[in-house]
Amino acid sequence: MSRGLTRRGCGLRPLLISGLLIGVAALVPLRVNDYLLQVLTISFYYVVLAVSWNLLAGYTGQFSLAQQAFATIGAYTTGMLGHYYHVPIAVGIVAAGLVSGLVGAILGVMVLRLRAIYLAIATWAFAETLRITLTAAYEFTRGDLGLSVPTLLGNLDPLPYYYIFLAMAAASTLIVYLVVRSPIGFFLRAIKDDELRAASMGINTTFWKVFAFALTSVLSGLAGAFYAHYVAVISPQIADFTEMAKIIVMVIVGGIGTFAGPLAGAPVVQVVSSFLHQYGQWSNVIFAVLVIVLMRTYRDGGIALLLHAFRLLWARVADGRGQA
Amino acid sequence: MLLGVDLQLLSQYVIAGLMIGVLYALMALGVTFIYSVMKMINWSMGQFYMLGSFIQYLLVVRWLGPDLWFVALPITAACVFVIGAILQLVLIRPMFTGGVERRDEYATVITIALLLLLQSLATVLNGPDEHTPGSHLPNLTVGTLPVSGATLAASLGGIAALILFAVLLRRTWVGLALRAAAQSRIAVQTAGVDLMRLDMIAFGIGVALAAIAGALLAPVYLVYPTNGAVTTTKGFEIIIIGGLGSIPGALVGGLLLGLVEALGSVFIAPAYQNAYGFVLLIALLLIRPTGLFGERLRAA
Repeated sequence: MSRGLTRRGCGLRPLLISGLLIGVAALVPLRVNDYLLQVLTISFYYVVLAVSWNLLAGYTGQFSLAQQAFATIGAYTTGMLGHYYHVPIAVGIVAAGLVSGLVGAILGVMVLRLRAIYLAIATWAFAETLRITLTAAYEFTRGDLGLSVPTLLGNLDPLPYYYIFLAMAAASTLIVYLVVRSPIGFFLRAIKDDELRAASMGINTTFWKVFAFALTSVLSGLAGAFYAHYVAVISPQIADFTEMAKIIVMVIVGGIGTFAGPLAGAPVVQVVSSFLHQYGQWSNVIFAVLVIVLMRTYRDGGIALLLHAFRLLWARVADGRGQA
Repeated sequence: MLLGVDLQLLSQYVIAGLMIGVLYALMALGVTFIYSVMKMINWSMGQFYMLGSFIQYLLVVRWLGPDLWFVALPITAACVFVIGAILQLVLIRPMFTGGVERRDEYATVITIALLLLLQSLATVLNGPDEHTPGSHLPNLTVGTLPVSGATLAASLGGIAALILFAVLLRRTWVGLALRAAAQSRIAVQTAGVDLMRLDMIAFGIGVALAAIAGALLAPVYLVYPTNGAVTTTKGFEIIIIGGLGSIPGALVGGLLLGLVEALGSVFIAPAYQNAYGFVLLIALLLIRPTGLFGERLRAA
């Protein structure tokens, strides 16, 4: 039915693959050092954003460019509440989800009447304005100096954070999976395929579009709040557009046609770029080129390309055996 | 005195706002023009703005000197035109010839990748340093109002670029072909025009407009790898205010945005100058969801 981003159906297979990836991730701490553990912890934050964005852009056809902005709203909500009102961390995180969802719903109502291309522009303008305003309002937000936020557990032992963030990523993935599997998922894909037709079949298109927008805003806002309580210092930098570009890179590298793509893409991109970090910004140059090459040649994504290569190789090996 | 605000201060802000508005309009025009012909948004406009400001800076500082900025300007525009045309040939043309399924998606992802590529390349090569080409233009006094020489020059340069653009579009064969392509791509091809070459020219002109804005604003703001972000955001806001695909919309939107920023700075606070554009955008969406000009049908 749907082509492009949603070529793959959403049977049980994506759930199995996702479960496998999460299972592997749960065992990773046995083998790696603390540094890599921290890199992977951050990558789970990106998994939430990438999975959310995939629901919006992939399944609903809303090419939003403000996923990082909602994470920023979440991070600053809990950060400011804690800083000025000494609100407990748990309350701050819940408030972060609510505020992001509310802002998402309001923005959604305003821009979702517009055609896709205007939606992308309006969300871009929203994200940039948020970053600029947070920087300009330094009396409240401390701007580029950064707002210090208490850590979630009061210590910096990486292992508990790893599992908390892994659970967060798994929960978000499950929520998005359930939405995609439910009738709502069919509504959303119907809207993407042909909105007029969907509306004529009795689907309240505006409502479901706003629903998807608000839901992904809540998920991103919660992820942003957890992120703030992990890195302990937040700055408007997390609302920078390069963050959004990074999310897109992760989805493309993981495979834009797949449900599990973002899950695999985010950790891979994050780990590779942390290793390339010693060479400065070269990692972004390399990823930009990689995305361009993938878009030009193999749109199913790097992970699928590796699988494909493996299958070809395996076929050759099996062939050789057959001849011998 | 008006609402407790000094009238001279107010008019000074309004004049400065309108002058900068011309350059916002230039930016929006580039986006709208590329969209009209190719039906795609170029998200990397800010990086071409940055390229323009860097090339202008190098030309002025290395060879020409600040007095010959107006000689450097066309060279900058030509350089970025060529870079844009080559990038279009390599990256964006396959959208039409390479069997791409979803063109919108491809164009968005490719130009965002291009944004990341150009911006990080600039950061790698330049570092986070900030430069200025400097300006020897004296500050003027119009009546009792002081006007910054560099801003005035940027504004006049912007107007000159707009006039040149209008002449190109109205008086030349290429301009005729471009206008025709904006109306119907199929009809232009039927008439025997090489549409692929036309796309290359359109993309080159569009990014050159951004580069001109960057080059003109180089002495006013600073030159560094992410300097295009703020002006690009304003360009995009103008697109929604004025309407996508509308040239008058881009011009009126640019001036309106400059005016609103000036009024906001005087009556509210200058610190949030860069946020007023979004407020204007939201207000306009509430009052007139189709924008000032542009396509009638904005709903899906």
